[in-house]
Amino acid sequence: MTGTQILVPVRDSVTLRNTVAYAAESAVDAEPGAAPTLHFVYPVSERVTVGDPPEDATELLDRVRAWVAEDLGDNAASIGVETALVGPDEYLFNPGDYADVLGRYAAENDVETVVLDPEFNPSGMTPLLPPLETELERAGLAVEIAPVERPTRRFPLARRAGLGQFAVLFGWAYGFYLLVGGTLSTFDLATGAISGLVVAGLLWRISLSGFVDVSRLAGRLGRLVVYAPFLLWEIAKANFQIAYVVLHPDLPIDPEVVEFDAAVWSELPVTTLANSITLTPGTLTIDVSRRHFTVHALTDGAREDLLGGTLERAVRFVFYGRSAARIPSPAERDADSDDAERPTEGENA
Amino acid sequence: MTPREIAIALLAAGGVFFAFVAAVGILRLPDLYTRSHSASKSDTLAAGLSLAAVALTFGSDLSTIKALLLLLFMFITNPTAAHAIARAAAEEGIEPWTREEEVDE
Repeated sequence: MTGTQILVPVRDSVTLRNTVAYAAESAVDAEPGAAPTLHFVYPVSERVTVGDPPEDATELLDRVRAWVAEDLGDNAASIGVETALVGPDEYLFNPGDYADVLGRYAAENDVETVVLDPEFNPSGMTPLLPPLETELERAGLAVEIAPVERPTRRFPLARRAGLGQFAVLFGWAYGFYLLVGGTLSTFDLATGAISGLVVAGLLWRISLSGFVDVSRLAGRLGRLVVYAPFLLWEIAKANFQIAYVVLHPDLPIDPEVVEFDAAVWSELPVTTLANSITLTPGTLTIDVSRRHFTVHALTDGAREDLLGGTLERAVRFVFYGRSAARIPSPAERDADSDDAERPTEGENA
Repeated sequence: MTPREIAIALLAAGGVFFAFVAAVGILRLPDLYTRSHSASKSDTLAAGLSLAAVALTFGSDLSTIKALLLLLFMFITNPTAAHAIARAAAEEGIEPWTREEEVDE
């Protein structure tokens, strides 16, 4: 039976709406006078150290609130509703991690019952690990899977995109194995197939997310080929500067931490830029939170190069084409709008 | 010496030079952040040059492809590791060394 404090972990899913309705119903059915409370919590998979919590999380929680208000109707006054984000300061990798943060939240709020959305399936859940349900029970919570109707699941045929991803990933892994192995003996073919299956089985949910737009990908790859020599040249040039600084008797370094918002938008470009910054000697990416970069710069020159935006422009060129490359550099943008708290940039402007 | 041998020697020498710079940097630089600059990047280039020399030595061989792949992975993993270390340090609240605090090491 459900207790009076009910915890519902939420993530966007097809059955979330019905799960919320079920949870609301259980709260209404609870014994009168028990003052039941519904806790809807959103476990944040990534770590959020700087800035606001992810928008989709807060949005989803708002939506859940609205649904609950609708479901509770006249009972809304007697039933408490709480929403929360949990685990924003750590990475959640597997069901155990999720159970940990949910268990901690439950302990803080005297929750004994968890109503689980059957389709609750955030990143990190894989068929190889014990399911969240087991992990939560191990943490001492009563778990109830919401008995909601789910759309017919013809696994895996219903997820054609997923199957495609699996196949592509398997193909890559297998091909790579054979390439590095260098032979096509029966032994290699067999072990390669096994390795490919293991790799694809472990990673197909987290790599190659989304559909691939072939023509756009080709354009990007083409520009990436242009970018690589440019990056190598930048690396070589900057390495000589660092060699000079390190070998100079006076050690003319002037390290500073610089923060700026890069004008790149999605995951891959941001990752590319962050890695390029780190690869270019003299600058080291310390933290990235979506577009906000915290960079340690070893010398004044390295800092000016960074804010000059050459790398950033190059990354934009790779991912968005030539027109996007002409956006002003971070230094110019900063001169235009002198509002944000950027402690060190003022000295270089 | 054929031109290829000269190129190999130059690449290898470059690799040794930057590995040396990385080592000197680790010894001379004042704090974790500055040291990880030296440890990660001069080292990446050093390894890159050495591997390029290896690839050139083997000529057209499967080993060349492997050396090139190693090179690629080096360029992806090294900055990632440096970033992880620096970020961990930042999370622990280690303050970066700056000019103002001390004039000399």
